[in-house]
Amino acid sequence: MKQALRLFLAMTLCLGLAPAPARAQAPTEEAVKAAFLPKFARYVGWPARMQLGPGAPFQLCVIGRDPFGRMLDSAAATEQIDGHGVAVRRLPSAAGAGGCHLAFVQGAAPAETGRLLLALRSQPILTVTDARAGPQRGMIHFTVVAGRVRFFIDDAEAATRGLSISSRLLALAAGVRQRR
Amino acid sequence: MRLPSPFARKWSAAPAAIVAVVVLLLLAGIGVIVQSEAAYRDLQQQETRVQADILAASVTAALDFGDRVAADEAIDAIRVNRQVRSVGVYNGRGALIAGYSRDGGNPPARLAEPVMASGNEIVSAVPVTSGRERIGTVVLAADPEPVSRRLSRYLVIGLLILMAALVVAVLGFAQNALKRANRELEERADALADANAELKVQVSERGKAEEQLRQAHKMQALGQLTGGIAHDFNNLLTVIQGSADMLRRPGITEDKRVRFAEAVVQASSRAAALTGQLLAFARRQPLQPEVIDLNALIRGMTDLLDRTLGERIEVTTELSAHTCTVEADRTQLESALLNVAVNARDAMPGGGRLVIRTASTEDPERGAMIALSVGDSGAGMDEDTLNRAFEPFFTTKTTGKGTGLGLSQVYGFASQSGGDVQIASRPGEGTIVTLLLPCSGSAEDVRTVEGNTVLRRGRTGRILLVEDNDEVGEFAEQLLDELGHEVVRARSGEEALDRALAERFDLVFTDVVMPGMSGLDLAGRLAERRAGLPVILTTGYSDEIARSGAGGRPVILKPYRPETLAEAIEQALSDRQG
Repeated sequence: MKQALRLFLAMTLCLGLAPAPARAQAPTEEAVKAAFLPKFARYVGWPARMQLGPGAPFQLCVIGRDPFGRMLDSAAATEQIDGHGVAVRRLPSAAGAGGCHLAFVQGAAPAETGRLLLALRSQPILTVTDARAGPQRGMIHFTVVAGRVRFFIDDAEAATRGLSISSRLLALAAGVRQRR
Repeated sequence: MRLPSPFARKWSAAPAAIVAVVVLLLLAGIGVIVQSEAAYRDLQQQETRVQADILAASVTAALDFGDRVAADEAIDAIRVNRQVRSVGVYNGRGALIAGYSRDGGNPPARLAEPVMASGNEIVSAVPVTSGRERIGTVVLAADPEPVSRRLSRYLVIGLLILMAALVVAVLGFAQNALKRANRELEERADALADANAELKVQVSERGKAEEQLRQAHKMQALGQLTGGIAHDFNNLLTVIQGSADMLRRPGITEDKRVRFAEAVVQASSRAAALTGQLLAFARRQPLQPEVIDLNALIRGMTDLLDRTLGERIEVTTELSAHTCTVEADRTQLESALLNVAVNARDAMPGGGRLVIRTASTEDPERGAMIALSVGDSGAGMDEDTLNRAFEPFFTTKTTGKGTGLGLSQVYGFASQSGGDVQIASRPGEGTIVTLLLPCSGSAEDVRTVEGNTVLRRGRTGRILLVEDNDEVGEFAEQLLDELGHEVVRARSGEEALDRALAERFDLVFTDVVMPGMSGLDLAGRLAERRAGLPVILTTGYSDEIARSGAGGRPVILKPYRPETLAEAIEQALSDRQG
């Protein structure tokens, strides 16, 4: 029920209702999202072939447009995923995204975002999208509810790519598309 | 009485042991409760920690992403547990992210480390980690188990222990009571043993006193007896001595000489009968029954009775013509009659009548009997005297006048002969003593009449006479010489043995009771060394012979008559030659 309510609120937000003004002291929406991105990795399991060797960094890719800039770099620098550092790679297109574990996908236009997502479809990459960039959704889809950054999770899509998302993370989601 | 100190010590030691056991039990119980309490607290602590762990795990993501709503939702799940007092979820910087308190308030806004439990609550603080980073803390405070529930649990244990203690105490005290009872029993047994010992002493003392009394009675009886014997013997000795003195007078007529000699013989035989009677009484000598015509016996005794009873007593006989013969010891029968007659005489000091009757009678049990009754016209007896009349040594006569053996001899003789004695008497009306004897079917034995027969000379031989008493020895030597034998006299057994081994003899005639070697010993030795040499024993009375017999050898009882001795020697010599 609650999740449905949140979903409803998110939908209304997405439909262009006025967003709540951000507080002056609070970190910006982009900063929160930048802080969230590396944290997702803790709650996700990748298939065996994506497991990291010793010393190898976890690869966080930003494909297409980068809305975070340095904020993401600093957030990734403080993060440790099971003892592995996090390396941020910025890619203009889906080509070369083979080693990415997690990819924030944002095209210049919503259609572009859809194409990029389609290109990554065959790979076990946790895709993250932002509602501000359009309705095209990755496995995790940022949104803002009552001034707070929230996210939807498409667990069914993650399952088809061989990814498992922790129930703890699912519990925080504003909405979940359950795996069958 | 024993000293009370060991007693008291024993008594106090047992309860101390009981108290110790009970205290131990109680301590053990308390230990069990304390341990169980601690274990239970540990368990609760663990439970609380597990709950905090679960909560920490479920709020990890919420903390990671700073999601208060998700944290609240996770905490809401815990509200179901009413035992949880408060829950606080703090972020990495110690600020309260979410939480509640059961009493409606809020948990502390900032995390105070280390986390302290306030009051009796159970507090668990668990760090929340994401990856390897500590991103916050969950603090969970819970109620301990309610006192009432704990109490009810410990009450069961307590009750069990109390009952165990009670059982121990009861058993201990019961044991104690038993011990005390045992001790009392022992004491009583001791007291009883003491009393018993005392009683034994008293009994033995009483026994001694009785023994002394008996001894005194015996001495008294002996005094009476010896007095009586002396009296009777003095009478007889008076006759013997007087007659002998008369015989020594010169110029005595032949008629008188015969009378005095006859008196000596009669008095002597009376004396012999008296000693025989004494010995019979003392030894319970077996009777030598022979068939006797009672009337003839009485007629033969009238002369003696007349002389014995004196002139003031008139003796009459009323003898039934149809009496049967009886089987009895002649001497004893004569003694019995004489005893009854003497008693009658003594009952009539002023003179009177003595009637001797015989009559046939029938006893339902014993068949035909003859009743010999002696009645007097004397003083009679009262009932008390009558009851004791047959008691040995009981006499109404003064010391020196009677032995107290008369009627008891009569009674003993009668019962040994299968008969009875009855006394009918009343004071002042005289006494009738009736002797009942069973009839015998046989005719009277032909009895050789003794008299001053001329000694028949039979076989003669060389005789060794052994006698330690000089008077008897001299008399016997003369007698044997008179019988025509050659006599050698020895004065002891040892001397006799020497001579018998050294010389040849046809016969040994020996006294039994002698100092040193007795006649029986001598006879035994001679049987070994001189088999075939006949030995004749003679004695007044011998314990040894009474006890073990004479070994088949002839025994001549003193006083003996010349005919008796002659007959025995004749028999022995003829046996040897034949």
